Amino acid sequence: MHHFKPYANESDVIRIGALEIENRTDRVSLTGDVVLTRDQAGLALARELHMLIGQVIKALQAEEKLPEIVEVKPAQVVKNPF
Amino acid sequence: MHRTLVFSLTLFSSTCLLADTACPQHFAAGQRPMVTNPKMQPRTQEICYRAFAVLHSGLSRTPLYAAEHLTRQNMKNAAKLSRKDSFHAEDALPESDRAELEDYERSGYDRGHMAPNANFATRKAQAESFSLANMVPQVHENNAGVWAGIESAARQLASAEGDIYVISGPAFIGGKIKKIGNVMVPTHIWKVIYSPAQQRAGAYLVTNDDTRDYAVLTVSKLEKMVGLSLLPGLPQQVRDAGMALPKPEPRQDRRKKIKPQDEFTLRDFTSLLMDALNRAMKH
Repeated sequence: MHHFKPYANESDVIRIGALEIENRTDRVSLTGDVVLTRDQAGLALARELHMLIGQVIKALQAEEKLPEIVEVKPAQVVKNPF
Repeated sequence: MHRTLVFSLTLFSSTCLLADTACPQHFAAGQRPMVTNPKMQPRTQEICYRAFAVLHSGLSRTPLYAAEHLTRQNMKNAAKLSRKDSFHAEDALPESDRAELEDYERSGYDRGHMAPNANFATRKAQAESFSLANMVPQVHENNAGVWAGIESAARQLASAEGDIYVISGPAFIGGKIKKIGNVMVPTHIWKVIYSPAQQRAGAYLVTNDDTRDYAVLTVSKLEKMVGLSLLPGLPQQVRDAGMALPKPEPRQDRRKKIKPQDEFTLRDFTSLLMDALNRAMKH
């Protein structure tokens, strides 16, 4: 958890419960699920999730010109070699 | 590094020729799939990992297939997921043949696992599954939706039956293909399941878009479509007969009833193929 810097690279993957969080330079994707049970374990997971979202918000707010919608590079179209 | 490499430089002279593999344990009857479309043969390389094997293509810079033997025991251990992993380019491949993280960067596509990390029982096996040699560019809604449902159905079947063999891969159908960086974007993604307990095999097929539809077909039909002989160690009759595959379920709170609009829909194989061809013709 400590070393996940949102939008910093294309390689990091961390898990909170069965939620998989993937770092990309243009997005952070959260896929899967996490159950926050009414117990110590639930609180620990909730804190991790809270910290992650906090870091995401901080990173986005720190952007000088945050675009309305992120731009993706259009795919090229090539002849099928197969 | 426990990987072994077999360069497939041998000429593909006859379909009777068995393809050598350094890791027969990942394949049904110990035999790896064979490339039957000669255009797919150049720049292919087998990579054996601890828990799965891929045949990688330097033309598409994707796997052509990833094969795994799923066992009930592995499914039990796989629940203990490691906390952190990292996507990485494949060191075992020459730079001129492999995908880099930059190819996928800002493409809008997921790095879609062919052999899914959730299947693997050890941290090392799981870490290896994050190699780009095991990835194809996949539409996110597909990866997180119907495809996740199919992967989960395969795991449940392995748990129920004790063991199954699974082969997953991309298909590139049509005259024109999308490319991100140096990596080709598949038009379809498929998963073959062989059940030793039932002595039956069948395949799931989805288009690589935000579909909630999937098709089920026989192995021999899929083999023709993808240019691979997928289960060469099994009798032709098993490849022809098909199998009643479990319906993929959407990932959600199990206590709630699944809403009809969230269900994945089984569709006819030909209509899926026609959709892809129509899309290809638009370009």
